[in-house]
Order: sequence, then structure tokens, then C-alpha cells
Amino acid sequence: MTDLLELAIAGLMSGLVIGLAALAVTLVFGIARFANAATGDTMTLGAYATLGGTAATGSLIAGGAIGILAGAAAGVIAYATVFRKLERRSPVAALLASIGVGFVIRAGLGLVYGHGQQVFQLPLVRPWRVWGIRIQPTDLEIAAAALATLAAVFLILHATPIGRQMRAVADDPDLARVSGIAPRRVMIALWALAGGVAAVAGCLLGIKTVVAPEMGWDMLLPAFAAAILGGIGHPVGAVVAGVLLGIAQETATPWVGFTYKIALSFAVLLLVLLVRPRGLFGRIEGVR
Amino acid sequence: MILSLEAVTGGYGEVDILNGIDLALEAGSILTVAGTNGAGKSTLAKAVVGLLPRVGGRIRLDGRDIVGLPAEERARAGIGYVPQVANVFPSLTIEENLAVVEGVADRRGRIGALLAMFPALAERRRFRAQSLSGGERQQLAFARALMTAPRVMVLDEPTAALAPSRVAESFERIATLARTGIAVLLIEQRARQALAISHRGAILDGGKVALAGPAADLLADETAARLFLGAG
Ligand SMILES: Nc1ncnc2c1ncn2[C@@H]1O[C@H](COP(=O)(O)OP(=O)(O)O)[C@@H](O)[C@H]1O
Ligand SMILES: [Mg+2]
Repeated sequence: MTDLLELAIAGLMSGLVIGLAALAVTLVFGIARFANAATGDTMTLGAYATLGGTAATGSLIAGGAIGILAGAAAGVIAYATVFRKLERRSPVAALLASIGVGFVIRAGLGLVYGHGQQVFQLPLVRPWRVWGIRIQPTDLEIAAAALATLAAVFLILHATPIGRQMRAVADDPDLARVSGIAPRRVMIALWALAGGVAAVAGCLLGIKTVVAPEMGWDMLLPAFAAAILGGIGHPVGAVVAGVLLGIAQETATPWVGFTYKIALSFAVLLLVLLVRPRGLFGRIEGVR
Repeated sequence: MILSLEAVTGGYGEVDILNGIDLALEAGSILTVAGTNGAGKSTLAKAVVGLLPRVGGRIRLDGRDIVGLPAEERARAGIGYVPQVANVFPSLTIEENLAVVEGVADRRGRIGALLAMFPALAERRRFRAQSLSGGERQQLAFARALMTAPRVMVLDEPTAALAPSRVAESFERIATLARTGIAVLLIEQRARQALAISHRGAILDGGKVALAGPAADLLADETAARLFLGAG
């Protein structure tokens, strides 16, 4: 029982990372209307930038801020140079282009940092024991950072004019334009937001595990699975589904084994697509 | 003339849906555009508001050619639009549907004035628009389009989604709009009722103006009546 609870806590941690990644996927899908396969590599970029920023400033907080800025900048640059030009084309063209963008980021990071693993040099802290369950203080900090990021995103979406405009464009881009909303500004804000969120996800994953050029790419399948399970284009759904998927993955490990836990994402992805394409929370008309 | 179209052509792809349309609209007047399904009425509306991918000819707002202007700038320049379908943001609240509009001078004041004009909306200001009935959606779509204090309103079949008991009320509201000085381009299937409150009318057929003139003349015209206006 304690073991299972500890696995569930580990699942919650990876679930928060998956949830953040899925949030970045679902934001882009809801507003720019394609599945962004560069999300994972934007995570990786965020992790490396945080690592570099932390080394340069001596502060993990400042490093994290640099990581977020790097992710946001990557998103905006990818939009300005690639995705903007594909806006009037099919979502498949944009998806294929995003695979290319992701490859460029991954290859670039491999070139600069090499293919070895790097770790965040954090002070070792003894785990707490609560009712016999081991809890890592770092986990609490990671969870707090993830929750703060989610709160910030939902505040931006629901309590700022640009967030309101993003939701309007997600609902109906043409109606948004005839309401005086300039699509360009909204898109730039979207890509900055999605890139920043992906960077946080990558940074937290890097703190929890290791930083390597493939780390984000490996998270893409769970992120897509969670975005679809949550109802594509539905931010709350993406986060909830990410957490569920993370917990399911970890608690299933004793039975399916470590190597197969990633297969669970794939199974969930297929099952949702076959049985309930709108996901747990999605409206059917949300997918146009 | 506040709005004039000169030899307007255009469409969604290679094919022209609009085949040279000339129309003119005076401030404070209502122009009804009628025609059968597929005649190109909604396409004409999109050409005016800037949503048609390809447009030729001239569209003038206050004498200034706006064909090259993107939709969002036309909205800010004073063209309001209520689309035929999908005319509200369903996941935004009533209030957000109004607050989201850009190019509004006094946003708070404007929202207050419009909610006062539509008490049914005021009551439900914090509800999502998807929870509204067809008639309430129509009111919200009107209110949203009025946020920018437009000089021209383009209404695409505003009574189509309404319960029959609400139609007269809707035409009354449109007549009131015009009395406040707004020029209304009114696309309607209920052509007789629309013409009854209009100053002029035009009948579209195959992307061309087949007949145009003062509303009263069209109502009296036997050919128009037989071909386009139907029994209603
Ligand atoms: N989004 C679109 N893409 C391509 N063709 C369209 C589109 N909308 C309408 N059409 C075509 O344009 C023509 C005119 O349609 P429309 O302007 O909607 O007519 P109306 O509003 O008079 O019923 C029709 O032949 C229709 O098939
Ligand atoms: Mg139509």
C-alpha cells in the first residue's frame, strides 16, 4: 500500500510535467489549429536554458526565468519564420513543419551541448516521512512551480484582454476579426505563452530526472495522449488528463515493467481516438 | 453614400461567386438584399466585411476604398457585422463577448449601455453564450456588432434562427437602428417583411443584381413578386 502511494506520488509528479506539456499542445491546437510536434523539443530547450541560466546567475529562480524566456522566444521565432507562412494551408502541412522545427532545435542542442546527460546540481535533501510515506521536498517545490504556472496561464486566459482575445480566436477566428481583433498580436501572444509553458515543463522534468537532447521528444507521445484525452483544445482537460496519465503510468510500472510504461500513453491515445474522440472534457464542436 | 460597391467580383477559390455587383447605401437607410439560396448573399456580406478571400472591384466606405483593408480594420473603421450562423463566441460569457471587441472608445460605458438595451442579456451577463437561446444569441450578436458604434451594419438573415413570434420584434429593432443614423445592409429571406421596413431593395441572382430599386417599387413589381419574393 505504501509502495503504491509512493508510486502514485511519483505519478503525480510526472503527471504535472505531462499536464504542462499537454497544456502547451492544446493551447496551440485550440488557437493555431494544429498539433505542434515541436512542443517536446521546446521543453528541452527550456531545460538547457534554465541549466545555463542557473550556472550563469547562481540562482535557480533566475535560471528558470531565463528558461521561460528562451521557450517563449523559440515559440515566437518558430511562428514568425515557419508557422505564420502555413496559416492558410492544411493542418498536416503545419504538423510536418513542426516535426522539422523540433528536429532543428534538438539537433542544435545536441551540437552545442553534446549528447551526454547533464543534471541540475541541487543540494541533497533528506526525504520526509509522513505516515510512513517518503516525500521528497524537491517534489513539493516542483509541484508548487507547476501549480503556479497553471495558475498564471489560467489567469492570463481568463483575466486579461489578450487572454480573452485568445479564447475568442479559439472559438471563431473570423468572428474575432470582424470584432476588431488583429490575429497577429493574438498569435504572437499564443506562441510566447505556449513556448513558456513548454519550457517550464522541460525545466521541471530536467530537475526531476536529467537533461539530455532527447528528453522532450520522448515526452511528446504522453503529451499528445493527454491533450487528446483531455479534449483537444481544452486547457483544464489537458492538465487533468496529464495528471491521470502520469499516475496511471507509474502505478502500472510494477505490472507492465519500466520499459512498457510509455506504451500506456499510446494505448490511451488509441483508445480515446477510437472510443471517445472528443476526450473527457471536449465539446464535439470544439474540433473544427 | 456611406457605403458603395462598384463592379464587385470575388469568391472563395478560383471561381467567381460574385459577378460584378453595384450597390449603394445611404446613412440611416436600410437596403434589403434578397435572393434564393446560393445566390451569393452571404458571400456579398463577407466581401463587404473583409472575410472573402478574393475580391475585385471597389468597395467604398465614406468614399475611401476599403478593398485592401483587413477585416479587423474594417470593423474598427465602422462596419458592424452579424453573420448568418456562428455569430457569438460560445465559450465566452455574455459580458466577455462584448468586452473582447477591439477598437471601442469607452468600453465599460458601451457595455453598460448595450446591456441596458438588452435586459435579457444583462440578467445573464456571467453565463457563457452557448447557454443562450436562439433569440438571445441574436441579441448578443447585435450587441457585439454595436460595440464599435458602427456606421454601417451588415446583417445576414438576422431572423432566420428566430422563433416566428420573435420576427416582428427583430425587424422593429433593425428599423430603430436605421433611425439612429446607422446604414443597414439587410440580407433577408423574409423579403416582403424586410422590404416593408427598407428604403431600397436589391435581388441577387447568380452573383449579380437581377433587380434593384426603391423598396416600395419592388414590393409592387409583379416580376419580382413572382420570381423572388414568394407568397410570404
Ligand atoms: N466557404 C465557402 N467556400 C466555397 N464556396 C462557398 C463557401 N460559402 C459559400 N460558397 C458557395 O458560394 C455560393 C453562394 O453562397 P452564399 O453566398 O452562401 O449564398 P446565399 O447566402 O445567397 O444563400 C454557393 O454556390 C456556395 O456553394
Ligand atoms: Mg446565406
